[in-house]
Amino acid sequence: MLEIESLTVAAGNFRLRDVNLAVGRGECHAVLGPSGSGKSTLLNAVLGVLPSESGRIRLAGADLKRVPIERRGLGYLPQQLGLFPHLTVRDNLTYSARARGVPAAEFQPLVDKLVAATGIGALLDRRPATLSGGERQRVGLVRALASQPRLVLLDEPFTALNESLRRELWWLLRELQRERQLTVLLITHDLAEAYFLSDRVTVLLDGRVVQQGEKAEVYGRPAAPEVARFLGVETLQPGRVVSVRDGLATVEVGTARLTALASPGTVGEVLVSIRGDEVILQRDGGAVSSVRNALPARVVSVRPGSPLLCVELDAGFPLFAFITRPACEELDLRPGVTVNALIKAPAVHLIPRSG
Amino acid sequence: MTLRRSTIAAALAVLLLYGGLILSLAWFLDGAAVRAAVQSERTLFAVRLSLVAATLAATLALLLAVPAAYALSRYRFRGRELVDTVLEFPIIVSPAALGAMLLIFFNNPLGEWIQDNVLRFVFSFAGIVLAQFVTVLGVAVRLLKTSFDEVPAELETVARTLGATPRHAFFTVTLPLARRGLIAAFILAWAKALGEFGATIMVAGTMAMRTETLPVAIFLRLASADIEGTVALILVLVSIGLAALYATRRLLGKAVHA
Repeated sequence: MLEIESLTVAAGNFRLRDVNLAVGRGECHAVLGPSGSGKSTLLNAVLGVLPSESGRIRLAGADLKRVPIERRGLGYLPQQLGLFPHLTVRDNLTYSARARGVPAAEFQPLVDKLVAATGIGALLDRRPATLSGGERQRVGLVRALASQPRLVLLDEPFTALNESLRRELWWLLRELQRERQLTVLLITHDLAEAYFLSDRVTVLLDGRVVQQGEKAEVYGRPAAPEVARFLGVETLQPGRVVSVRDGLATVEVGTARLTALASPGTVGEVLVSIRGDEVILQRDGGAVSSVRNALPARVVSVRPGSPLLCVELDAGFPLFAFITRPACEELDLRPGVTVNALIKAPAVHLIPRSG
Repeated sequence: MTLRRSTIAAALAVLLLYGGLILSLAWFLDGAAVRAAVQSERTLFAVRLSLVAATLAATLALLLAVPAAYALSRYRFRGRELVDTVLEFPIIVSPAALGAMLLIFFNNPLGEWIQDNVLRFVFSFAGIVLAQFVTVLGVAVRLLKTSFDEVPAELETVARTLGATPRHAFFTVTLPLARRGLIAAFILAWAKALGEFGATIMVAGTMAMRTETLPVAIFLRLASADIEGTVALILVLVSIGLAALYATRRLLGKAVHA
């Protein structure tokens, strides 16, 4: 549906370089990156607010270069929502139909359906200023979808909300997206949001695409150290591949040895990346299992968190594990206690070290 | 003296200055002279002329100021800085100098051609409107630009994604949201035009029953040592001006302190 090819866009002193990205029909694609990575520049280029220096943006096969914003077929929900403060909710929702001169009979059934699906029926005669944060989000979402866009652009739309409201709206958006087969480009710096809502992910850093793919692939197997750091991989340690046999690599990390899946290019010096939720802790030995890495480790600290606690271990190298509070109590984890840290070989991801 | 006390004292000093000036008129206030002046045909003509000319000048100024202010607020274009700087020109240059410049312009070949083929400005009603228009335009643009700056450009982008053309987005989103600034700009431009003297006298002169606006009438009365008549006309001008400012406050609420 959306194809971006070799796109370069300048915004002041910043330049977004050589971006390639494709979003299929009915797919939600998240563009992830920290502030200043170029997410907004990319969004503005797709919107048509910023001209591109080179490259191409196509939507449903049509080149958008000379297409004005109003004819691009976009639904847009910005971070500040962009609700028109001088109009009622009803007038906000029907703005698109009036702007396009669409008769009420044509747009009203869809608006009614979306209003019912999002539960904003009681708000129609109110002004945006009188709505709560969550209500405003729903109105913004319905307005963006009511124009039946070919592509929905969401620019960090849930950032200002508290955690429970955000999750509630994630569910709502995911339901709407799947039910209506919406094609969505989600701009966010929130890893959890991107993981929850998207099918595929593009990671932008310093104006360049550094990784792109299925979300599980990107989260589990970051392609570069900076991606792993941005994705917040808990354990990221330098290591050295000492042997590769039958597709398995043996890696020295600190004083420990780990078994990982070998991949082309991961030889010699590497960075070992292990997500905290891939580490299992066990006390008092245990039966034989398929797990390739069972490391004796000493608990250094247990950091509180919700819903998971973060356990810092010394396993010959600093290792972090996420566990639930009941598990922590059952294992009686406290500093100084010795445990076995179990990590499956596929959960040990090796990143080639550059430089 | 605390900061609170000293600043409040300064605020009250402003009131004392202007209020004192108005109250000091009472010394020469003569009921009969006021009645005579207010009821005279010449005064009524001056009031009518001032109201019509100021309304026309403020309307014309806004017709140009709205698009100009929008461009200054939204677009980056060559000469933008220059336009932005020149807005203060009527404030820096005295109204008399501005009027003199207009008069000089109408004495050059292009000005003469305009006078002969388009409209006669010098010593005419059109000259009054032009002098007031030139005096208030810069202020109107500055006020409106501030109003447009306060409307997030993103709302227009959203409107356009919803199918609005740039023009439709301007008229249905930007302009309604800038309406307070629009009303304030009109009323202030109108009030400033109403009290305009220097430029008017240069371009249109002081012809009784022809180009005699209220400020010109005040000047002429004072020049002929008719203090009571002067006071009466000042009271008329002050009443109209204060009524306009009061209307601004009522229309805009306390948020805009005109």
